[in-house]
Amino acid sequence: MFRRSAAIAGAAGLLLLAACSNSASSGGSAAGGKTTLTYLTFNTPSLTPAFWKDSIARAEKTVPGLTIKQVVAPSTDRDSYAKQLQASGQFPDLLQSITPSQYTDAGLLTPYDQSWVDANFLLPQGNAIKGKVYIPPTNSQIIPLVFYNKSLFAKAHVQPPTTWAQFLQVNATLKAAGITPLELGGNDPFAAAMPLTGALSADVLGKDPQWIQQRHAGKVKFADADVVTAATKMRTLVEKGYFEDGALNVSYADSIKNFNAGKAAMYPMGSWYLGSIPKDQWDNIGVFPWPTDDGKVVVPFAVGGSMAISAKAEDVKAATAFAKTWSLDPANLKALIEVDGAYPMLKNKTLDDYGVTVSPAFTDSYAYVTRTDAKVGAIGWATNDDALPGSLNNDLYAAAQALFNSSDVKGQMSKLDKSWDTATK
Amino acid sequence: MKPPSPPFRHTSQDAGLRLIAALGLLLYTVFIVVPVFMSLRSSFTDENPLKSGSNWIGFANYSEMLHDTQLRDSVVFTLLLALAVTVVANVLGLAFALLLDRTALSYRVLRTLAFLPQVVSGVIVGFVWKTILTQDGLLNTLLKSVHLVHDPVDWLGKPHLAQFSVGVVVAWVLSGFTTVVYLAALQNIPRELYDAGAIDGASTTQQFRMITVRMVAPATTISVTISLITVLKLYDVIQVLTSGGPANATQSTAQYIVKMAFTDDRFGYASSIAMFLLALSAVIALSVTSMLRRREVDL
Repeated sequence: MFRRSAAIAGAAGLLLLAACSNSASSGGSAAGGKTTLTYLTFNTPSLTPAFWKDSIARAEKTVPGLTIKQVVAPSTDRDSYAKQLQASGQFPDLLQSITPSQYTDAGLLTPYDQSWVDANFLLPQGNAIKGKVYIPPTNSQIIPLVFYNKSLFAKAHVQPPTTWAQFLQVNATLKAAGITPLELGGNDPFAAAMPLTGALSADVLGKDPQWIQQRHAGKVKFADADVVTAATKMRTLVEKGYFEDGALNVSYADSIKNFNAGKAAMYPMGSWYLGSIPKDQWDNIGVFPWPTDDGKVVVPFAVGGSMAISAKAEDVKAATAFAKTWSLDPANLKALIEVDGAYPMLKNKTLDDYGVTVSPAFTDSYAYVTRTDAKVGAIGWATNDDALPGSLNNDLYAAAQALFNSSDVKGQMSKLDKSWDTATK
Repeated sequence: MKPPSPPFRHTSQDAGLRLIAALGLLLYTVFIVVPVFMSLRSSFTDENPLKSGSNWIGFANYSEMLHDTQLRDSVVFTLLLALAVTVVANVLGLAFALLLDRTALSYRVLRTLAFLPQVVSGVIVGFVWKTILTQDGLLNTLLKSVHLVHDPVDWLGKPHLAQFSVGVVVAWVLSGFTTVVYLAALQNIPRELYDAGAIDGASTTQQFRMITVRMVAPATTISVTISLITVLKLYDVIQVLTSGGPANATQSTAQYIVKMAFTDDRFGYASSIAMFLLALSAVIALSVTSMLRRREVDL
């Protein structure tokens, strides 16, 4: 009896140790001409398990001997998960839609060959870091746009504004007409920060597109007068009561429902909202860019993309072949365009080539991408050289929430400077 | 006359028990002791999860903690939350236990229901309560329908209300655990004590104060200590309910550690905060346990 117990206990111990040693091994493996690569993905309402299964299978077929082992992040925060995997020696060979700037200093990613990027994408340098592309720039977002309800605008006899003064006037007129001017969904910090993102991107980066680089060099600060003036615009909207009641107590999901139900006239949100406009509202929802002081169109832009390749991948050549095929497959972009409101960035392709059906608001806002309007990095969202360090985007979101309860705009901006110093230590 | 005790003999059963104990000790060492020492070592370095190797920087991380206002705010919030939740959850737990200390089937069902908050995942708890507390959520709808409020209450939108709401949710979760602990203690109190008290003319209040409170004192020690430790390391419920907002008002120390480690890539600094939290939890747990044990003796 004892021997059997001891044997079971011993076997359990060995199994445990074996499990530990397995979990500590790194991503892919190659044996007998066959290669297995790990691929970090994440699920969203548009990027479903079925989408991944099909899209991986299509690309896998084009690389002989390659097997992809999918690793699904437990939330959409794939960067944190990728870092946890790296810390435990399991950094994946391929990583979908991560923020490459967080990994390049450590030399964890391998860049794509520039000639392939130049040949296939509209903005080859759209998400480049120090001139190198680590994620094929397959799609982009504008963050934020201002969506508006045409019926409510007509009811209040207002037109889409182009300047900040007109925007304030539109808000005032809507409020006077008994219509809630702005929907926010501020319980989710990123949504709370949309007006601040718009104001800082349009006013600060609009005037100096190199502002983030200047901040890295210590030549400018968030507490500088021009940044404080831009941030004060958000505080003005709060003080004048233009957001819905209890804006910080409304979740992002509820804010979409509210705006779609006509409970507010405008909704500053990333272009991914385009995928959430109900078909029966397609002709009723319009869109305009975040207004600037002089009416110049400034587009807060973030070029996203498909997957990064680990510099330590078991077979970089196979990984690159898979990544290139996946990135150029129009079927993969179809879901992103229709459900996630992503603007496709493949060269020599029209929307028809993707087989998509999109709303007029999508077509109108896509024009900002294809036209020559000034594009700046959407602060807190850009993944190129304009990406914020560490968790500064979270601090930016927190500052936006704080502006609901504090009129000390400069104090909040100074906190961001402190956070910047902490994040870049 | 009492027969002499048989001399101690080593049996094969003893050897089996020793092996099982050794295995337990090995697991404890591998999964608790070693990581703690690794974290302690890391706290004196500038370790970054994305880079190999690290530099020894002495007490620089600990020195930085002294000036970190976000850390200070998260520690103050966590301590206040731990204190408030521990008091509320234990009072509620004892009250529920007194109500449920019956043998009928309906009470057994209610006991299971009372324990439910403890067995539900913190993530699910966070999602459910978020649905209840948001602007058009269940609570505001209810309050408006009975005309208790005219406008919806900003349960998660104002810093102090959000802190209060987090406290209520966490106290609700922990009350499931404290109820079970107090219920087990109540069921071990001999009925004769109450009978004797009644014969001596003790009122219900006197019986509660002189018998119940004293007899559940060991359970109180366990319940209070575990409640404190649970809240001091709380992460999941808050992460889902408020994401630490608005404006970091409900950011727990555990959330701040995760943020430093996996967003700011400062493993070394996160480790130093983790060491501080470990020490703080140990000091609080030991002090409270020692104080409550003395109280057990006094009672």
